[in-house]
Amino acid sequence: MNTSKRQLAMVMDLNKCIGCQTCTVACKTLWTGDEGMEHMWFNTVNTLPGKGTPHGWEDMGGGFDAEGNAVVGHIPSRKEFGEAWKFDHEGSYYGGKGDASHLAIAGEPPTWGPNWDEDQGEGEFPNTHYFYMPRICNHCTHPACKEACPRDAIDKREEDGIVTVNEDRCRGYRFCQAACPYKKIYFNHQKKVSQKCLFCFPRIDNGVAPACARQCPGRVRFVGYRDDPEAPIWKLVEKWKVALPLHPEYGTEPNVFYVPPIGPLSFDQDGDIDESTPRIPDAYLIRLFGPSVLDALATLKAEREKKRATGESELMDLLIAYEWKDMFGGFDTDPSTVSVVKWTNAS
Amino acid sequence: MKATYLRDTPLTGLLDPFGEAWSRVNTETLALSGTPSALQPTAAVRVAFPEGTIGAIRSAELAVAHNGSEIAFRLRWADASMNTAAAGEDDTLFPDGAALLFPAAPGAPLMSMGAPGKPVTAWYWRADEPDRGRHVSAQGLGSSDTLDRELVKVAGVHRDGHWHVVIARALAVAKGPATVRLVPGQATPFSLAIWEGGHRERAGIKAFAMGQHDGWHELILDPQA
Ligand code: SF4
Ligand code: SF4
Repeated sequence: MNTSKRQLAMVMDLNKCIGCQTCTVACKTLWTGDEGMEHMWFNTVNTLPGKGTPHGWEDMGGGFDAEGNAVVGHIPSRKEFGEAWKFDHEGSYYGGKGDASHLAIAGEPPTWGPNWDEDQGEGEFPNTHYFYMPRICNHCTHPACKEACPRDAIDKREEDGIVTVNEDRCRGYRFCQAACPYKKIYFNHQKKVSQKCLFCFPRIDNGVAPACARQCPGRVRFVGYRDDPEAPIWKLVEKWKVALPLHPEYGTEPNVFYVPPIGPLSFDQDGDIDESTPRIPDAYLIRLFGPSVLDALATLKAEREKKRATGESELMDLLIAYEWKDMFGGFDTDPSTVSVVKWTNAS
Repeated sequence: MKATYLRDTPLTGLLDPFGEAWSRVNTETLALSGTPSALQPTAAVRVAFPEGTIGAIRSAELAVAHNGSEIAFRLRWADASMNTAAAGEDDTLFPDGAALLFPAAPGAPLMSMGAPGKPVTAWYWRADEPDRGRHVSAQGLGSSDTLDRELVKVAGVHRDGHWHVVIARALAVAKGPATVRLVPGQATPFSLAIWEGGHRERAGIKAFAMGQHDGWHELILDPQA
């Protein structure tokens, strides 16, 4: 049951993400530059298969079981997220060690980072495979974070379903961190409050798409209301059914959806293309997106063929995103024309 | 239990948990028990702390003294792990804490930290805020609000595997909506709560002292002789 009148959503096309992290940096620059936020990346892009961020988050619990009961969850540590490390600029640039210790890490060497297993992937040459998985908070319809908070310090906006932390009510108890199965809430040890992706609501309120979506050079991200039949979200999720939530079995009903990656074809032992075996194993994609991923892939492949043969496919035209601004469901105001309030630790 | 009248003992003397003044005050041991899991406000809290897992600290020693204008509670409890940071253990643990609890309205229930219209007042010390206490009011679990950060004076020392904490306040303060007034010669209901941060205790996950008077203990303040 949705407690909001309307729901904003995002669709990310994993066939187009190039792992450039422009989204990550756009978000970092806008929202998480203050002290106490060094380890926070409201937007992350990880290579899959991989451990992601925080390290091994899919095994950290939270969310709901099939009966809707809350599942015990783990509070990720800063180390598991990947502590921001510093480079020894001093030694490299001024200490005469530039050649020997080329940008060595200062202090204790890190054991994990937000993009630690980049491009490792899986499989044996020549059938190695990987793809990029951008993640933000899913602004869930059944938000485990909000439902866990004993202080009711997390709001789900009635007008658009954006989930935000009310920092005036938050006491830093971190039940939300344990409860979010996507591990998309962070603890600010400076302010002693939880913080998370806000779907750039100060931009949304001014008709501007979230920074991660607008800055994406890959045209990966669609934005808009779920119930707008004229806009891409509804068409991709409801009409074509090619955009699926990540780990639907976590029970939170995410409002971020993914167009699954088709991936390249396999080579057989003779080095010939093997049409029968996808390089990214079906089982892996089913583990991420549930069994309906196979139907979504079949639709994508069929429409791709149709576009190739006839030049016509509503679905392919949508995904190609010929008109960049059409991706934003009407939230296409130029941000330079509005003034957006930033938060700081001083406020 | 009794609050001993210590004439001419300044607050600074009482705020030192090892101060000479305390040698003239009796110490009592209070048994503590965990808040019931079933009372916790959300399912996620209840599954994280099932029945029987709440309340790591099982007893505390308490001594109480007043000087006619201020009252001080000296607490002492065994806690081998000293958790002094909100960001302890890489953001996964919580600060140790303690609070004196008073009903700010007749019939305010202790276990649920008050109820709507029946506030409980807490004088709250937290190991990550060593130099100032919080004056807190709650009308049910999850509803606590910090009213003030000046009135409650605190001191905490961790020594020999124990916390030694003093929590003090003026007997009477300007009457806010949820403030208690303690009067020499009179009795007042009270309790105390302790959070073991190393056990991830925070919010309603705590140990508290259950007394004979609707859950409250009774404190009788010595008259000013
Ligand atoms: S992804 Fe996590 S933080 Fe975001 S709304 Fe869902 S449960 Fe809450
Ligand atoms: S900016 Fe776009 S293409 Fe680049 S990593 Fe982010 S989602 Fe992928």
